[in-house]
Amino acid sequence: MANPRGRERRILRLLSVPMALLALSCVYPVYFAVNNALKTNRNYIMDRFGLVTDLTFDNFVQAWTRSNLDTYFVNSVLVTGGAVLLLLLVSSLAGFALALLRFPARRLVFVVILASLMIPVQVVLVPFYQTIIGLGLLNTRIGLILSYTAFFLPFSVYLMTAFYAGLPRELMEAARIDGARLLQVWWFVMLPMGRPALITLGILNTLYCWNDVLISLLVLQDKRTMMVGIAALRGEYTTNVPLLAAGIVLAAAPIVVLYLVFQRQIVAGIATGAVKG
Amino acid sequence: MAEVTIRDLRKAYGALEVLHGVNVDIADGQFVVLVGPSGCGKSTLLRMIAGLEGVSAGTISIGPRVVNNLPPSDRDIAMVFQNYALYPHKTVAANMGFALKMARMDKAEIDSRVARAADILGLKPYLARYPRELSGGQRQRVAMGRAIVRNPQVFLFDEPLSNLDAKLRVQMRAEIRELHQRLATTTVYVTHDQIEAMTMADRIVVMRDGHIAQIGAPLELYDRPANAFVAGFIGSPAMNLLDGVVERDGAGVAVRAGENLLPVPDGPGLEAGRKVIYGIRPEDLALAEDGIAATVAVVEPTGSETHVVLRISGRDLVAVFRERHAFHPGDVIHLAPQAGKVHVFDAASGDRIG
Repeated sequence: MANPRGRERRILRLLSVPMALLALSCVYPVYFAVNNALKTNRNYIMDRFGLVTDLTFDNFVQAWTRSNLDTYFVNSVLVTGGAVLLLLLVSSLAGFALALLRFPARRLVFVVILASLMIPVQVVLVPFYQTIIGLGLLNTRIGLILSYTAFFLPFSVYLMTAFYAGLPRELMEAARIDGARLLQVWWFVMLPMGRPALITLGILNTLYCWNDVLISLLVLQDKRTMMVGIAALRGEYTTNVPLLAAGIVLAAAPIVVLYLVFQRQIVAGIATGAVKG
Repeated sequence: MAEVTIRDLRKAYGALEVLHGVNVDIADGQFVVLVGPSGCGKSTLLRMIAGLEGVSAGTISIGPRVVNNLPPSDRDIAMVFQNYALYPHKTVAANMGFALKMARMDKAEIDSRVARAADILGLKPYLARYPRELSGGQRQRVAMGRAIVRNPQVFLFDEPLSNLDAKLRVQMRAEIRELHQRLATTTVYVTHDQIEAMTMADRIVVMRDGHIAQIGAPLELYDRPANAFVAGFIGSPAMNLLDGVVERDGAGVAVRAGENLLPVPDGPGLEAGRKVIYGIRPEDLALAEDGIAATVAVVEPTGSETHVVLRISGRDLVAVFRERHAFHPGDVIHLAPQAGKVHVFDAASGDRIG
């Protein structure tokens, strides 16, 4: 009979092959973007897959200034920041109400929110676009902020409701007895207690909003966001790949920085959300 | 401080009524314990007094005010929860001062009140700590501190000692009692532990299935239970309750339980042939040569006394002896109930006879 430890090691070695391939598939695009962003266009055409030979930062400068990525970056920051703040505010309030307060049709409201989680964005694009025009929000940053809030709210509300439902109900009751009004209970007790879930949610929503192309393309047609700007770097017939790669690196950088800064909280947040607070 | 008056209080969840018209008067400064088995409605009653549950019918008054429709914050009450319900993100001092902050009290006044409460409860060294850094007993004290800083009219305790170990429970029991003697604030305390009820209460309210089974001073309930339920619930080990039938002859009155004839003092309501429950507390059974024969089943020495489980014509009885006897399982001993310590209840209603 084979030694069980030896067998375990063999299984691990077998598993490591697909895992390594998976890791490679994630790392390779990053390598491709960074490597090519540092090449001249000539260098890229001569050797697409090789390592950079004549190092240049021109692509970054060009993408940032001449391709308007600087303006798009500001748009992205404002829209993402605004939407994430609004999402956290609304989902925390809604989660508190749905998890801890008793009111008629509470379950129905929750089910409707859950159901809207199942509807893909693409299905509602036409009515969504008409609504945005009807509200006069086309080409406004506030329009995009509201759109992101609307599309990402169901998941956020679901997460916050699940988190708050896991907290002992007595905390709210204690605060009520201590003289706190409902909004004070939310502000002084529920909001600080929801911190781990809110951090997770903040990161996820930042990621969704920052990386979105579709909704942004519809709502902000003149003032573009970063991702739409990058998509526009692709020409109809030819594409300056190093320029595009530089744009991609610039666009991804804030998210990577955000992840590195909050890495600990993200992991802790996911873990805290998973077990009873 | 204030008295609490509960009149014909009912609570229903849809068609299910869990409190069926409860009346309780709690005098100013009194320590009242609501006790009963799980699901008897004691916690619901407490939460209704707190304002955490709505009132289906009847009234709750604190002092002269009917508080039925007042939110918890306006009832001038403080509550200690079973799981303490401390705010985990606030320090001990912030936990204790939260209610005062909500009342927009001056910071200096908050600090002084928190310091005074911390002093009373021995929490001074822990004011800057977070609840997670405290032991169970310390957390319980913080929860009490949070209640006393407000100087409320009524304290409400919802099974506050259930999460503590046995030794700490006894210690905290004494501390809560001492605190009450010091502050003399009207207190309503819920527990399912009848020992807690007996040791702490000025008055006990025994509840069962949403009704009040009996209200009275601890020893009153112990010595003269109003029904078989209270008789069985109050006291540990529980009162021995035997089904029987009243028999009369020239010599007097007795209850026939199986093959045994148990003498009872004559009184009204003891007509021959009436089905009754015969009750005798374990410590009221004494050894007697001419007593009823019983077989020893189990001997449980506790040190200060010995509990003996006995079998009398197929039924189990418990007797408690202060003296140390060398009983062994299988021994046959003779017991006689002490005169005047016998309780008789109606078999159908469970109510006390005589």
